[in-house]
Amino acid sequence: MEGNIAILGYGLSAIGPGIGVGLVFAAYINGVARQPEAKGTLQTIAFLGFALTEALAIFGLALAFVFR
Amino acid sequence: MRAQSAAGSDGFVAPDVSDFWQPLFGTDGPFAVTRASVVLVLSVVGICWLLLAATRKLSLVPGRTQLVTESVYGLVRNSVARDVIGSKDFLRFVPLLFSMFILILVNNLFGVVPPIQFPTMSRVAMPAALTLVVFVLYHYLGIRKRGVVGYFKSLMPPGIGIGLGLLIYPLELITYFFTRPVTLALRLFGNMFAGHLLLLLFITGGEYLVFEAGGAGMMVAGGVSWFMAFVMTVFEILVEFLQAYIFTLLAALYLAGAVADEH
Amino acid sequence: MAAVYSVLASGDEEGFWAEAAPIIPHPGELVFGIVAFAILYLVVARHVVPRLEQVLSERTTAIEGGLERAEQAQVQAEAALTQYRAQLAEARGEASRIRQEATEEGAAIVVEMRARAQAEADRIVAAAQQQIEAEHQHALIALRSEVGDLATELASRIVGEALADEARSSRVVDRFLAELEHLEPVAANGAGAPTGQDG
Repeated sequence: MEGNIAILGYGLSAIGPGIGVGLVFAAYINGVARQPEAKGTLQTIAFLGFALTEALAIFGLALAFVFR
Repeated sequence: MRAQSAAGSDGFVAPDVSDFWQPLFGTDGPFAVTRASVVLVLSVVGICWLLLAATRKLSLVPGRTQLVTESVYGLVRNSVARDVIGSKDFLRFVPLLFSMFILILVNNLFGVVPPIQFPTMSRVAMPAALTLVVFVLYHYLGIRKRGVVGYFKSLMPPGIGIGLGLLIYPLELITYFFTRPVTLALRLFGNMFAGHLLLLLFITGGEYLVFEAGGAGMMVAGGVSWFMAFVMTVFEILVEFLQAYIFTLLAALYLAGAVADEH
Repeated sequence: MAAVYSVLASGDEEGFWAEAAPIIPHPGELVFGIVAFAILYLVVARHVVPRLEQVLSERTTAIEGGLERAEQAQVQAEAALTQYRAQLAEARGEASRIRQEATEEGAAIVVEMRARAQAEADRIVAAAQQQIEAEHQHALIALRSEVGDLATELASRIVGEALADEARSSRVVDRFLAELEHLEPVAANGAGAPTGQDG
């Protein structure tokens, strides 16, 4: 079995952000379902949270390429 | 492609990073004119021509071309720029966001359009260039609004004591000057790169299974692989659109932070 | 940063970029990207967005103008309706007023006519009575003189016949009365005409 263990690191680093992004958008959908008129505000916040959460996974990807 | 050239000697070689490095003109060095550059220039020429042709004769009751142009423009103008930046001064950002969105969208779609089939944004320099534009503008706007010292003061989150502030402030600096731009560029790059790599893998892998591996079972597996390539292509189209939208939306979000009263 | 510079410095070697980590931006592509985006931005900002914005604002004005016109029409229609209703109410009031007036006038006319008729009747009655009275007086006067004449004549005849027998005198009286009845209309004109030719 050959390969690069950095890819495993990327896989691990994607778990947390995966859950986190799911939580962010679950909360967003809940919020919009309860108050459809707040969609604009919630969308901004949700995408900011999504960007921050996904940053970790993106670092994992970047570092998987760096340490190989 | 190495997959085909090496296939005869030592079995299947999966596509990798080197498949995205395709210098077309000049040297192999840092200023080679690559396939991505050529595609990007072609896309800019095509987009300019299309937009100028579509907006040359505009009428109050739109025709089909105008309707498509206006709905893309309306998406960026209304649901990205106006909703995020606010109706006060979103109009001056609309050209930037619109050109950014349409450039990314077209270049992403080039990843699955047959004669081109190369997503420009899978070369990290392309999203990095766009991110550079966004963040130079972002910091420029912030500094022009508050002055250099005031700008760096405003990065400090309000209502935090001096002790905790010393701890938080470096993190904030890292967020604004490193995390945000890097993730903005790498998100687009990563999606395009991984998506295209996946398509390459399914197509070249299927090709290897059908033509080289031998045996009926392998040929069936190759057919399944090609079918998966088709499914993933459809999925890629969705992702390509979504990533263009998210990039533009996040750019608008960051720029909105720069022009908002509270940072 | 130092690593990036060393990467750029070593980038001239053959094959470096083929194997380089894909997250290292290729400088040539970076330049191409920025220049191409700048060109696209200029075209979009100079030509495309102004045209689209102009059409959008024109459409907004057109729609707003249409709405405004519709609103104006609504207001006008409402004003017309109000005016119409007011006129209708006014007309109804007028009609009822006229009807009332007519009723009153009719009643007044009836009363007046009745009074006038009464007066006329009274007048006619009074005149008739006056006339009757006058004629009565006249008749009385005429009768008085005639009766006097007649009585005088009758007396002279009776006296002239020499009152011999009963039957003859009663015959004379009868004949006189018959004459009198016969000459009644003439007697009104001239009482002295029926003279005693058979006396």
